[in-house]
Amino acid sequence: MLKLVGVETFYGKIKALHGVSLEVKEGQLVTILGANGAGKTTILKTISGLVEPEHGTIHFNGQRIDGEDSEKIVALGIGHVPEWRRIFPELTVEENLLMGGFLIKEKELLYERMEEAFRHFPILEKRKKQIAGTMSGGEQQMLAILRALMIRPKLLLLDEPSLGLSPILVRDIFTTIKDLHQSGVTILLVEQNVNRALSIADYGYVLTTGKILLSGTYEELLNEEKVREQYLGEGKYMRRSKLWSG
Amino acid sequence: MDSLFTGLLQESISGTALGCIYALIALGFTLIYKASEVVNFAQGELMMVGAYVNFFLVTSFMAESGEPTGWIFLSGFIGSILFAVLFGWFLDRIINRPLKDEPVFSVIMATISLSIILRAVVSMFAGPMSLIPVSPFGNQIVAVGGIVISILDISIIVSAILLVVLFYYFFHKTKWGIAIQATSEDPVAAQLMGIAVKRVYGLVWIFSAIVATISGILLAPRMSLLDTSMGFLGLKAFPAAVLGGFGSITGAIAGGIMMGVIETISMGTLSFYFSWIKEINDIIVWIVLIAILMVKPDGLFGVEKVRKV
Ligand SMILES: Nc1ncnc2c1ncn2[C@@H]1O[C@H](COP(=O)(O)OP(=O)(O)OP(=O)(O)O)[C@@H](O)[C@H]1O
Ligand SMILES: [Mg+2]
Repeated sequence: MLKLVGVETFYGKIKALHGVSLEVKEGQLVTILGANGAGKTTILKTISGLVEPEHGTIHFNGQRIDGEDSEKIVALGIGHVPEWRRIFPELTVEENLLMGGFLIKEKELLYERMEEAFRHFPILEKRKKQIAGTMSGGEQQMLAILRALMIRPKLLLLDEPSLGLSPILVRDIFTTIKDLHQSGVTILLVEQNVNRALSIADYGYVLTTGKILLSGTYEELLNEEKVREQYLGEGKYMRRSKLWSG
Repeated sequence: MDSLFTGLLQESISGTALGCIYALIALGFTLIYKASEVVNFAQGELMMVGAYVNFFLVTSFMAESGEPTGWIFLSGFIGSILFAVLFGWFLDRIINRPLKDEPVFSVIMATISLSIILRAVVSMFAGPMSLIPVSPFGNQIVAVGGIVISILDISIIVSAILLVVLFYYFFHKTKWGIAIQATSEDPVAAQLMGIAVKRVYGLVWIFSAIVATISGILLAPRMSLLDTSMGFLGLKAFPAAVLGGFGSITGAIAGGIMMGVIETISMGTLSFYFSWIKEINDIIVWIVLIAILMVKPDGLFGVEKVRKV
Protein backbone atom coordinates (compact mmCIF):
# COMPACT_ATOMS: atom_id res chain seq x y z
CA MET A 1 0.00 0.00 0.00
CA LEU A 2 2.71 2.48 1.02
CA LYS A 3 6.29 2.08 -0.06
CA LEU A 4 9.26 4.34 0.58
CA VAL A 5 12.51 3.66 -1.26
CA GLY A 6 15.74 5.47 -0.44
CA VAL A 7 14.03 8.61 0.82
CA GLU A 8 16.34 11.50 1.71
CA THR A 9 14.89 14.65 3.21
CA PHE A 10 16.73 17.84 4.06
CA TYR A 11 15.95 20.83 6.24
CA GLY A 12 18.02 23.42 4.47
CA LYS A 13 21.47 21.86 4.48
CA ILE A 14 20.76 19.45 7.32
CA LYS A 15 20.04 15.94 6.16
CA ALA A 16 17.29 14.49 8.34
CA LEU A 17 16.61 11.24 6.44
CA HIS A 18 19.50 9.23 5.01
CA GLY A 19 17.81 6.96 2.53
CA VAL A 20 14.83 5.51 4.37
CA SER A 21 13.06 2.51 2.84
CA LEU A 22 10.00 1.01 4.42
CA GLU A 23 6.73 -0.60 3.52
CA VAL A 24 3.24 -0.69 4.96
CA LYS A 25 0.92 -3.37 3.61
CA GLU A 26 -2.84 -3.04 3.45
CA GLY A 27 -4.45 -3.76 6.80
CA GLN A 28 -1.21 -3.64 8.74
CA LEU A 29 -0.32 -1.62 11.80
CA VAL A 30 3.30 -0.65 11.37
CA THR A 31 5.26 1.29 13.93
CA ILE A 32 8.39 3.42 13.66
CA LEU A 33 10.45 3.56 16.82
CA GLY A 34 13.44 5.71 17.58
CA ALA A 35 14.96 8.21 19.96
CA ASN A 36 14.34 11.95 19.91
CA GLY A 37 15.54 13.57 16.73
CA ALA A 38 15.86 10.26 14.88
CA GLY A 39 13.66 11.56 12.09
CA LYS A 40 10.33 9.84 12.81
CA THR A 41 8.25 12.95 12.37
CA THR A 42 10.20 13.81 9.25
CA ILE A 43 9.22 10.49 7.67
CA LEU A 44 5.53 11.22 8.24
CA LYS A 45 5.90 14.82 7.05
CA THR A 46 7.59 13.58 3.90
CA ILE A 47 4.81 11.09 3.24
CA SER A 48 2.11 13.78 3.57
CA GLY A 49 3.97 16.22 1.39
CA LEU A 50 4.70 18.79 4.10
CA VAL A 51 8.36 18.49 3.16
CA GLU A 52 9.68 17.30 -0.16
CA PRO A 53 12.30 14.56 -0.36
CA GLU A 54 15.46 15.34 -2.29
CA HIS A 55 15.98 11.74 -3.35
CA GLY A 56 14.02 8.53 -3.33
CA THR A 57 10.45 7.62 -4.20
CA ILE A 58 7.21 7.21 -2.31
CA HIS A 59 4.40 5.14 -3.78
CA PHE A 60 0.90 4.91 -2.40
CA ASN A 61 -1.35 2.25 -3.92
CA GLY A 62 0.91 2.12 -6.93
CA GLN A 63 0.84 5.86 -7.47
CA ARG A 64 3.94 7.98 -7.03
CA ILE A 65 3.25 10.71 -4.46
CA ASP A 66 6.61 12.24 -3.55
CA GLY A 67 6.76 15.88 -4.57
CA GLU A 68 2.97 16.18 -4.76
CA ASP A 69 1.09 18.94 -2.92
CA SER A 70 -0.25 17.77 0.40
CA GLU A 71 -3.86 18.49 -0.54
CA LYS A 72 -3.51 15.94 -3.35
CA ILE A 73 -1.96 13.39 -1.02
CA VAL A 74 -4.73 13.82 1.55
CA ALA A 75 -7.28 13.42 -1.22
CA LEU A 76 -5.75 10.06 -2.11
CA GLY A 77 -6.68 8.86 1.36
CA ILE A 78 -3.79 9.54 3.71
CA GLY A 79 -4.85 10.98 7.06
CA HIS A 80 -2.20 12.46 9.34
CA VAL A 81 -2.49 13.16 13.06
CA PRO A 82 0.50 15.42 13.64
CA GLU A 83 2.80 15.52 16.63
CA TRP A 84 1.28 17.53 19.50
CA ARG A 85 -2.19 17.11 17.93
CA ARG A 86 -2.36 20.57 16.38
CA ILE A 87 -6.10 20.92 16.49
CA PHE A 88 -7.32 24.40 15.58
CA PRO A 89 -7.45 25.86 19.10
CA GLU A 90 -9.76 28.79 18.42
CA LEU A 91 -12.28 26.89 16.36
CA THR A 92 -15.05 24.87 17.97
CA VAL A 93 -14.96 21.08 18.15
CA GLU A 94 -17.54 20.94 15.39
CA GLU A 95 -15.57 23.30 13.17
CA ASN A 96 -12.43 21.24 13.70
CA LEU A 97 -14.26 18.16 12.45
CA LEU A 98 -15.68 20.17 9.57
CA MET A 99 -12.13 21.02 8.57
CA GLY A 100 -11.18 17.38 8.84
CA GLY A 101 -13.83 16.76 6.21
CA PHE A 102 -12.80 19.72 4.10
CA LEU A 103 -12.39 17.54 1.02
CA ILE A 104 -15.84 15.98 1.32
CA LYS A 105 -18.04 17.65 -1.27
CA GLU A 106 -21.48 16.36 -0.23
CA LYS A 107 -22.87 18.15 2.80
CA GLU A 108 -24.95 15.18 3.91
CA LEU A 109 -22.00 12.84 3.89
CA LEU A 110 -20.02 15.38 5.87
CA TYR A 111 -22.62 15.56 8.62
CA GLU A 112 -23.06 11.81 8.57
CA ARG A 113 -19.35 11.41 9.23
CA MET A 114 -19.55 13.95 12.01
CA GLU A 115 -22.37 12.01 13.66
CA GLU A 116 -20.23 8.91 13.37
CA ALA A 117 -17.30 10.65 15.00
CA PHE A 118 -19.50 11.71 17.89
CA ARG A 119 -20.73 8.15 18.26
CA HIS A 120 -17.10 7.12 18.61
CA PHE A 121 -16.55 9.67 21.37
CA PRO A 122 -19.82 10.77 22.92
CA ILE A 123 -17.95 13.19 25.22
CA LEU A 124 -17.13 15.33 22.21
CA GLU A 125 -20.73 15.63 21.14
CA LYS A 126 -21.52 17.43 24.37
CA ARG A 127 -18.60 19.72 23.64
CA LYS A 128 -19.55 20.35 20.04
CA LYS A 129 -19.68 24.11 20.48
CA GLN A 130 -16.72 24.33 22.85
CA ILE A 131 -13.59 26.13 21.68
CA ALA A 132 -11.26 23.22 21.02
CA GLY A 133 -8.24 24.80 22.69
CA THR A 134 -10.03 24.85 26.04
CA MET A 135 -10.37 21.07 26.17
CA SER A 136 -8.06 18.75 28.08
CA GLY A 137 -5.06 17.18 26.39
CA GLY A 138 -6.74 13.80 26.11
CA GLU A 139 -9.89 15.24 24.58
CA GLN A 140 -7.78 17.22 22.15
CA GLN A 141 -5.94 14.08 21.10
CA MET A 142 -9.23 12.29 20.50
CA LEU A 143 -10.42 15.25 18.46
CA ALA A 144 -7.20 15.21 16.43
CA ILE A 145 -7.71 11.54 15.61
CA LEU A 146 -11.38 11.96 14.77
CA ARG A 147 -10.56 14.96 12.63
CA ALA A 148 -8.18 12.84 10.56
CA LEU A 149 -10.77 10.06 10.32
CA MET A 150 -13.40 12.31 8.75
CA ILE A 151 -12.22 11.49 5.23
CA ARG A 152 -12.12 7.76 6.05
CA PRO A 153 -8.43 7.53 5.22
CA LYS A 154 -7.07 4.35 3.70
CA LEU A 155 -3.86 4.98 5.61
CA LEU A 156 -3.64 6.78 8.93
CA LEU A 157 -0.36 8.34 10.07
CA LEU A 158 -0.17 8.82 13.84
CA ASP A 159 2.68 10.85 15.30
CA GLU A 160 3.21 10.12 19.00
CA PRO A 161 -0.46 10.12 19.94
CA SER A 162 0.40 9.40 23.59
CA LEU A 163 2.63 12.44 23.96
CA GLY A 164 2.00 14.32 27.17
CA LEU A 165 -0.95 12.21 28.27
CA SER A 166 -1.48 10.60 31.67
CA PRO A 167 -1.04 6.79 31.90
CA ILE A 168 -4.79 6.14 31.86
CA LEU A 169 -5.26 8.25 28.77
CA VAL A 170 -2.28 6.57 27.13
CA ARG A 171 -4.02 3.25 27.67
CA ASP A 172 -7.26 4.62 26.20
CA ILE A 173 -5.47 6.00 23.16
CA PHE A 174 -3.78 2.68 22.50
CA THR A 175 -7.10 0.87 22.84
CA THR A 176 -8.54 3.26 20.30
CA ILE A 177 -5.68 2.65 17.90
CA LYS A 178 -6.12 -1.07 18.26
CA ASP A 179 -9.85 -0.77 17.60
CA LEU A 180 -9.22 1.33 14.52
CA HIS A 181 -6.78 -1.22 13.24
CA GLN A 182 -9.22 -4.05 13.87
CA SER A 183 -11.92 -2.18 12.00
CA GLY A 184 -9.65 -2.29 8.97
CA VAL A 185 -7.71 0.98 8.93
CA THR A 186 -4.10 0.66 7.86
CA ILE A 187 -1.92 2.54 10.33
CA LEU A 188 1.62 3.86 10.45
CA LEU A 189 2.33 4.71 14.08
CA VAL A 190 5.27 6.69 15.42
CA GLU A 191 5.87 6.13 19.11
CA GLN A 192 8.38 6.44 21.91
CA ASN A 193 6.20 4.22 24.03
CA VAL A 194 8.02 1.17 22.71
CA ASN A 195 6.41 -1.68 24.55
CA ARG A 196 2.87 -0.58 23.98
CA ALA A 197 3.51 0.30 20.35
CA LEU A 198 5.11 -3.04 19.58
CA SER A 199 2.47 -4.98 21.46
CA ILE A 200 -0.25 -3.82 19.07
CA ALA A 201 1.87 -3.60 15.90
CA ASP A 202 2.25 -6.17 13.14
CA TYR A 203 5.64 -4.89 12.18
CA GLY A 204 8.18 -2.36 13.46
CA TYR A 205 11.04 -0.30 12.12
CA VAL A 206 13.79 1.09 14.31
CA LEU A 207 15.18 4.41 13.20
CA THR A 208 18.45 5.99 14.32
CA THR A 209 19.62 9.36 13.02
CA GLY A 210 17.69 9.17 9.79
CA LYS A 211 18.48 5.53 8.96
CA ILE A 212 16.47 2.35 9.40
CA LEU A 213 18.59 0.24 11.71
CA LEU A 214 16.48 -2.88 11.78
CA SER A 215 12.97 -4.07 11.31
CA GLY A 216 10.85 -7.02 12.25
CA THR A 217 7.87 -8.29 14.16
CA TYR A 218 7.33 -7.72 17.88
CA GLU A 219 9.12 -10.91 18.85
CA GLU A 220 11.98 -10.37 16.45
CA LEU A 221 12.61 -6.89 17.72
CA LEU A 222 12.28 -7.83 21.36
CA ASN A 223 14.86 -10.54 20.82
CA GLU A 224 17.37 -7.92 19.76
CA GLU A 225 18.17 -7.39 23.42
CA LYS A 226 21.13 -5.04 23.03
CA VAL A 227 19.65 -3.02 20.24
CA ARG A 228 16.53 -2.68 22.27
CA GLU A 229 18.31 -1.12 25.21
CA GLN A 230 20.46 1.06 23.06
CA TYR A 231 18.12 2.27 20.36
CA LEU A 232 14.58 1.74 21.41
CA GLY A 233 15.29 4.17 24.22
CA GLU A 234 13.57 1.81 26.53
CA GLY A 235 15.62 2.83 29.52
CA LYS A 236 14.44 6.36 29.09
CA TYR A 237 10.90 5.23 28.67
CA MET A 238 11.07 3.27 31.89
CA ARG A 239 12.24 6.33 33.72
CA ARG A 240 9.44 8.31 32.21
CA SER A 241 6.83 5.82 33.28
CA LYS A 242 8.26 5.78 36.79
CA LEU A 243 7.97 9.52 36.88
CA TRP A 244 4.32 9.20 35.99
CA SER A 245 3.49 6.53 38.49
CA GLY A 246 5.49 8.25 41.23
CA MET B 1 -27.12 72.64 26.71
CA ASP B 2 -29.59 71.34 24.15
CA SER B 3 -27.52 72.58 21.28
CA LEU B 4 -24.49 70.94 22.84
CA PHE B 5 -26.37 67.68 22.90
CA THR B 6 -27.62 67.85 19.31
CA GLY B 7 -24.13 68.93 18.23
CA LEU B 8 -22.57 65.94 19.91
CA LEU B 9 -25.20 63.61 18.49
CA GLN B 10 -24.69 64.94 15.00
CA GLU B 11 -20.94 64.62 15.28
CA SER B 12 -21.31 61.11 16.61
CA ILE B 13 -23.30 60.08 13.58
CA SER B 14 -20.98 61.70 11.10
CA GLY B 15 -18.03 60.33 13.10
CA THR B 16 -19.54 56.88 12.94
CA ALA B 17 -19.69 57.16 9.17
CA LEU B 18 -16.05 58.18 9.01
CA GLY B 19 -15.25 55.47 11.55
CA CYS B 20 -16.99 52.86 9.41
CA ILE B 21 -14.51 53.63 6.67
CA TYR B 22 -11.59 53.35 9.07
CA ALA B 23 -13.14 50.11 10.25
CA LEU B 24 -13.25 48.73 6.72
CA ILE B 25 -9.63 49.69 6.12
CA ALA B 26 -8.68 48.02 9.38
CA LEU B 27 -10.77 44.98 8.46
CA GLY B 28 -8.93 44.43 5.18
CA PHE B 29 -5.67 44.92 6.97
CA THR B 30 -6.55 42.54 9.80
CA LEU B 31 -7.65 39.85 7.35
CA ILE B 32 -4.21 39.67 5.79
CA TYR B 33 -2.48 39.96 9.13
CA LYS B 34 -4.53 37.19 10.69
CA ALA B 35 -4.04 34.82 7.80
CA SER B 36 -0.37 35.34 7.12
CA GLU B 37 1.08 37.66 9.80
CA VAL B 38 1.89 40.09 7.02
CA VAL B 39 1.33 43.73 7.95
CA ASN B 40 0.11 45.19 4.68
CA PHE B 41 1.37 48.75 4.52
CA ALA B 42 -0.28 49.17 1.14
CA GLN B 43 -3.83 48.79 2.47
CA GLY B 44 -4.51 52.52 2.14
CA GLU B 45 -3.14 52.51 -1.39
CA LEU B 46 -5.41 49.61 -2.30
CA MET B 47 -8.26 51.81 -1.14
CA MET B 48 -6.95 54.74 -3.16
CA VAL B 49 -6.61 52.62 -6.29
CA GLY B 50 -10.16 51.36 -5.80
CA ALA B 51 -11.46 54.93 -5.51
CA TYR B 52 -9.66 55.93 -8.70
CA VAL B 53 -10.83 52.92 -10.67
CA ASN B 54 -14.38 53.65 -9.62
CA PHE B 55 -13.97 57.31 -10.53
CA PHE B 56 -12.69 56.51 -13.99
CA LEU B 57 -15.33 53.90 -14.66
CA VAL B 58 -18.13 56.20 -13.59
CA THR B 59 -16.85 59.25 -15.47
CA SER B 60 -16.21 57.27 -18.63
CA PHE B 61 -19.66 55.67 -18.49
CA MET B 62 -21.03 59.14 -17.95
CA ALA B 63 -19.15 60.47 -20.97
CA GLU B 64 -20.89 57.79 -23.04
CA SER B 65 -24.42 58.39 -21.93
CA GLY B 66 -24.29 61.89 -20.54
CA GLU B 67 -26.63 61.41 -17.60
CA PRO B 68 -25.36 60.29 -14.19
CA THR B 69 -27.96 57.60 -13.55
CA GLY B 70 -28.13 55.04 -10.80
CA TRP B 71 -27.20 52.39 -13.32
CA ILE B 72 -23.95 54.14 -14.10
CA PHE B 73 -22.96 54.18 -10.46
CA LEU B 74 -23.99 50.59 -10.08
CA SER B 75 -21.99 49.45 -13.11
CA GLY B 76 -19.04 51.51 -11.89
CA PHE B 77 -19.30 49.79 -8.52
CA ILE B 78 -19.53 46.31 -10.01
CA GLY B 79 -16.67 47.08 -12.39
CA SER B 80 -14.53 48.26 -9.47
CA ILE B 81 -15.27 45.09 -7.51
CA LEU B 82 -14.28 42.96 -10.50
CA PHE B 83 -11.12 44.98 -10.75
CA ALA B 84 -10.46 44.41 -7.04
CA VAL B 85 -10.80 40.66 -7.49
CA LEU B 86 -8.23 40.67 -10.28
CA PHE B 87 -6.00 43.09 -8.44
CA GLY B 88 -6.04 41.05 -5.22
CA TRP B 89 -5.30 37.90 -7.16
CA PHE B 90 -2.45 39.64 -8.97
CA LEU B 91 -0.93 40.99 -5.74
CA ASP B 92 -1.00 37.53 -4.20
CA ARG B 93 0.89 36.25 -7.24
CA ILE B 94 3.54 38.95 -7.30
CA ILE B 95 4.01 39.58 -3.57
CA ASN B 96 2.79 36.73 -1.47
CA ARG B 97 3.64 33.61 -3.46
CA PRO B 98 7.16 34.43 -4.61
CA LEU B 99 8.07 35.38 -1.04
CA LYS B 100 6.32 32.53 0.69
CA ASP B 101 9.48 30.91 2.00
CA GLU B 102 11.11 34.19 2.95
CA PRO B 103 10.73 35.77 6.38
CA VAL B 104 7.45 37.64 6.90
CA PHE B 105 9.57 40.77 7.14
CA SER B 106 10.43 40.56 3.42
CA VAL B 107 6.77 40.46 2.55
CA ILE B 108 6.17 43.50 4.74
CA MET B 109 8.97 45.37 2.99
CA ALA B 110 7.40 44.39 -0.32
CA THR B 111 4.09 45.92 0.75
CA ILE B 112 5.87 49.17 1.59
CA SER B 113 7.40 49.22 -1.89
CA LEU B 114 4.02 48.39 -3.32
CA SER B 115 2.43 51.37 -1.58
CA ILE B 116 5.01 53.73 -3.09
CA ILE B 117 4.71 52.19 -6.54
CA LEU B 118 0.92 52.35 -6.48
CA ARG B 119 0.95 56.04 -5.60
CA ALA B 120 3.40 56.73 -8.43
CA VAL B 121 1.50 54.67 -10.98
CA VAL B 122 -1.83 56.23 -10.12
CA SER B 123 -0.51 59.77 -10.40
CA MET B 124 1.09 58.80 -13.70
CA PHE B 125 -2.26 57.71 -15.08
CA ALA B 126 -4.41 60.31 -13.40
CA GLY B 127 -2.10 63.24 -13.81
CA PRO B 128 -0.94 65.46 -10.98
CA MET B 129 -4.29 67.13 -10.55
CA SER B 130 -6.74 66.30 -7.85
CA LEU B 131 -10.10 65.19 -9.13
CA ILE B 132 -13.52 66.05 -7.85
CA PRO B 133 -15.11 62.80 -6.76
CA VAL B 134 -18.61 61.87 -7.83
CA SER B 135 -21.30 60.36 -5.66
CA PRO B 136 -24.73 59.00 -6.50
CA PHE B 137 -26.12 60.93 -3.53
CA GLY B 138 -24.77 64.36 -4.33
CA ASN B 139 -25.12 66.59 -1.29
CA GLN B 140 -28.53 65.40 -0.21
CA ILE B 141 -29.31 65.53 3.46
CA VAL B 142 -32.06 64.56 5.82
CA ALA B 143 -32.96 66.55 8.90
CA VAL B 144 -34.31 64.76 11.95
CA GLY B 145 -35.22 67.06 14.81
CA GLY B 146 -32.38 69.51 14.44
CA ILE B 147 -29.84 66.90 13.43
CA VAL B 148 -28.65 67.05 9.85
CA ILE B 149 -27.35 63.86 8.32
CA SER B 150 -26.06 63.49 4.81
CA ILE B 151 -27.45 60.64 2.75
CA LEU B 152 -23.88 59.78 1.94
CA ASP B 153 -23.08 59.16 5.61
CA ILE B 154 -26.16 56.99 5.96
CA SER B 155 -25.17 55.00 2.90
CA ILE B 156 -21.67 54.55 4.30
CA ILE B 157 -22.99 53.23 7.60
CA VAL B 158 -25.49 50.95 5.91
CA SER B 159 -22.91 49.58 3.47
CA ALA B 160 -20.43 48.96 6.25
CA ILE B 161 -23.01 47.08 8.29
CA LEU B 162 -23.99 44.98 5.27
CA LEU B 163 -20.40 44.21 4.50
CA VAL B 164 -19.58 43.21 8.06
CA VAL B 165 -22.64 40.96 8.26
CA LEU B 166 -21.65 39.37 4.97
CA PHE B 167 -18.12 38.79 6.23
CA TYR B 168 -19.30 37.41 9.51
CA TYR B 169 -21.51 34.97 7.68
CA PHE B 170 -18.72 33.97 5.33
CA PHE B 171 -16.16 33.42 8.08
CA HIS B 172 -18.38 31.50 10.44
CA LYS B 173 -20.82 29.65 8.25
CA THR B 174 -19.04 28.65 5.08
CA LYS B 175 -16.44 25.97 4.60
CA TRP B 176 -13.94 28.25 2.91
CA GLY B 177 -14.47 30.92 5.54
CA ILE B 178 -13.70 28.51 8.36
CA ALA B 179 -10.79 27.20 6.30
CA ILE B 180 -9.33 30.71 6.25
CA GLN B 181 -9.58 30.84 10.04
CA ALA B 182 -8.05 27.39 10.32
CA THR B 183 -5.18 28.35 8.05
CA SER B 184 -4.46 31.45 10.04
CA GLU B 185 -4.35 29.40 13.23
CA ASP B 186 -2.15 26.61 11.92
CA PRO B 187 -1.22 26.49 8.25
CA VAL B 188 0.54 23.13 8.60
CA ALA B 189 -2.44 21.43 10.19
CA ALA B 190 -4.65 23.09 7.57
CA GLN B 191 -2.56 21.47 4.85
CA LEU B 192 -3.09 18.10 6.49
CA MET B 193 -6.84 18.65 6.17
CA GLY B 194 -6.40 18.95 2.41
CA ILE B 195 -6.90 22.72 2.48
CA ALA B 196 -5.02 24.34 -0.39
CA VAL B 197 -3.25 26.91 1.74
CA LYS B 198 -1.89 28.82 -1.24
CA ARG B 199 -5.42 29.36 -2.49
CA VAL B 200 -6.51 30.50 0.96
CA TYR B 201 -3.87 33.24 0.93
CA GLY B 202 -4.97 34.25 -2.56
CA LEU B 203 -8.55 34.43 -1.34
CA VAL B 204 -7.53 36.59 1.60
CA TRP B 205 -5.76 39.10 -0.63
CA ILE B 206 -8.78 39.21 -2.93
CA PHE B 207 -11.09 39.86 0.02
CA SER B 208 -8.79 42.48 1.34
CA ALA B 209 -8.69 44.25 -2.03
CA ILE B 210 -12.50 44.13 -2.21
CA VAL B 211 -13.00 45.74 1.20
CA ALA B 212 -10.33 48.30 0.39
CA THR B 213 -12.03 49.18 -2.87
CA ILE B 214 -15.41 49.51 -1.22
CA SER B 215 -13.97 51.75 1.48
CA GLY B 216 -12.33 53.85 -1.24
CA ILE B 217 -15.58 54.21 -3.15
CA LEU B 218 -17.38 55.23 0.05
CA LEU B 219 -14.69 57.57 1.28
CA ALA B 220 -13.93 59.46 -1.95
CA PRO B 221 -17.12 61.54 -2.07
CA ARG B 222 -16.63 62.44 1.58
CA MET B 223 -13.41 64.17 0.68
CA SER B 224 -13.65 67.31 -1.40
CA LEU B 225 -10.78 66.22 -3.65
CA LEU B 226 -9.55 62.87 -4.82
CA ASP B 227 -5.78 62.56 -4.95
CA THR B 228 -3.16 59.95 -4.26
CA SER B 229 -2.58 61.15 -0.71
CA MET B 230 -5.84 59.36 0.14
CA GLY B 231 -3.62 56.31 0.57
CA PHE B 232 -2.08 57.81 3.69
CA LEU B 233 -5.42 57.36 5.42
CA GLY B 234 -4.53 53.69 5.35
CA LEU B 235 -2.16 54.42 8.20
CA LYS B 236 -5.25 54.98 10.35
CA ALA B 237 -5.81 51.28 10.13
CA PHE B 238 -2.99 50.83 12.65
CA PRO B 239 -4.43 52.71 15.61
CA ALA B 240 -7.83 51.27 14.76
CA ALA B 241 -6.50 47.73 14.71
CA VAL B 242 -4.38 48.22 17.82
CA LEU B 243 -7.22 49.91 19.67
CA GLY B 244 -9.43 46.90 19.11
CA GLY B 245 -6.73 44.34 19.78
CA PHE B 246 -4.38 43.49 16.96
CA GLY B 247 -5.62 40.62 14.85
CA SER B 248 -9.21 40.71 16.10
CA ILE B 249 -11.77 41.43 13.40
CA THR B 250 -14.45 42.62 15.82
CA GLY B 251 -11.78 44.75 17.44
CA ALA B 252 -10.73 46.30 14.14
CA ILE B 253 -14.31 47.33 13.46
CA ALA B 254 -14.93 48.71 16.94
CA GLY B 255 -11.56 50.46 16.95
CA GLY B 256 -12.22 52.07 13.57
CA ILE B 257 -15.60 53.41 14.59
CA MET B 258 -14.24 54.74 17.89
CA MET B 259 -11.50 56.55 16.04
CA GLY B 260 -13.91 58.17 13.63
CA VAL B 261 -16.13 59.38 16.47
CA ILE B 262 -13.27 60.66 18.59
CA GLU B 263 -11.74 62.53 15.67
CA THR B 264 -14.99 64.13 14.60
CA ILE B 265 -16.02 65.20 18.09
CA SER B 266 -12.64 66.57 18.96
CA MET B 267 -12.56 68.52 15.73
CA GLY B 268 -16.09 69.83 16.34
CA THR B 269 -17.53 70.41 19.79
CA LEU B 270 -14.35 69.89 21.79
CA SER B 271 -12.31 72.30 19.72
CA PHE B 272 -15.13 74.84 20.10
CA TYR B 273 -14.73 74.74 23.85
CA PHE B 274 -10.99 74.10 23.98
CA SER B 275 -9.37 75.80 21.06
CA TRP B 276 -6.00 74.13 21.71
CA ILE B 277 -7.50 70.80 20.72
CA LYS B 278 -7.37 71.90 17.08
CA GLU B 279 -3.64 71.89 17.28
CA ILE B 280 -3.38 68.37 18.57
CA ASN B 281 -6.23 67.01 16.50
CA ASP B 282 -3.97 64.93 14.32
CA ILE B 283 -2.55 63.10 17.29
CA ILE B 284 -5.61 62.89 19.48
CA VAL B 285 -6.35 59.37 18.32
CA TRP B 286 -2.87 58.29 19.27
CA ILE B 287 -3.23 59.85 22.73
CA VAL B 288 -6.46 57.94 23.28
CA LEU B 289 -4.74 54.84 21.94
CA ILE B 290 -1.91 55.05 24.46
CA ALA B 291 -4.35 55.76 27.28
CA ILE B 292 -6.40 52.68 26.41
CA LEU B 293 -3.37 50.47 26.01
CA MET B 294 -2.18 51.54 29.45
CA VAL B 295 -5.39 50.16 30.93
CA LYS B 296 -5.89 47.23 28.53
CA PRO B 297 -2.57 46.23 27.00
CA ASP B 298 -4.20 43.70 24.67
CA GLY B 299 -6.56 46.28 23.22
CA LEU B 300 -10.29 46.42 23.83
CA PHE B 301 -11.02 43.07 22.23
CA GLY B 302 -7.62 41.49 22.58
CA VAL B 303 -7.93 37.75 22.69
CA GLU B 304 -5.79 35.78 25.02
CA LYS B 305 -4.17 32.96 23.13
CA VAL B 306 -5.45 29.55 24.16
CA ARG B 307 -2.85 27.65 22.17
CA LYS B 308 -1.03 25.38 24.55
CA VAL B 309 2.23 24.39 22.95
N1 LIG C 1 11.86 22.42 10.65
C1 LIG C 1 13.10 21.93 10.86
N2 LIG C 1 14.20 22.66 10.52
C2 LIG C 1 15.43 22.18 10.71
N3 LIG C 1 15.70 20.98 11.25
C3 LIG C 1 14.67 20.21 11.62
C4 LIG C 1 13.31 20.65 11.44
N4 LIG C 1 12.49 19.68 11.89
C5 LIG C 1 13.31 18.69 12.32
N5 LIG C 1 14.60 19.00 12.15
C6 LIG C 1 15.75 18.15 12.50
O1 LIG C 1 15.62 16.92 11.83
C7 LIG C 1 15.96 15.85 12.68
C8 LIG C 1 14.79 14.89 12.77
O2 LIG C 1 13.72 15.53 13.41
P1 LIG C 1 12.31 14.84 13.66
O3 LIG C 1 11.40 15.87 14.19
O4 LIG C 1 11.91 14.12 12.45
O5 LIG C 1 12.68 13.80 14.80
P2 LIG C 1 11.75 12.85 15.65
O6 LIG C 1 12.29 11.49 15.51
O7 LIG C 1 10.34 13.05 15.29
O8 LIG C 1 12.03 13.37 17.12
P3 LIG C 1 11.03 13.47 18.39
O9 LIG C 1 10.97 12.12 18.99
O10 LIG C 1 11.72 14.43 19.29
O11 LIG C 1 9.73 13.95 17.89
C9 LIG C 1 16.34 16.47 14.01
O12 LIG C 1 17.74 16.53 14.07
C10 LIG C 1 15.76 17.84 13.97
O13 LIG C 1 16.56 18.74 14.67
MG1 LIG D 1 8.71 13.70 16.26
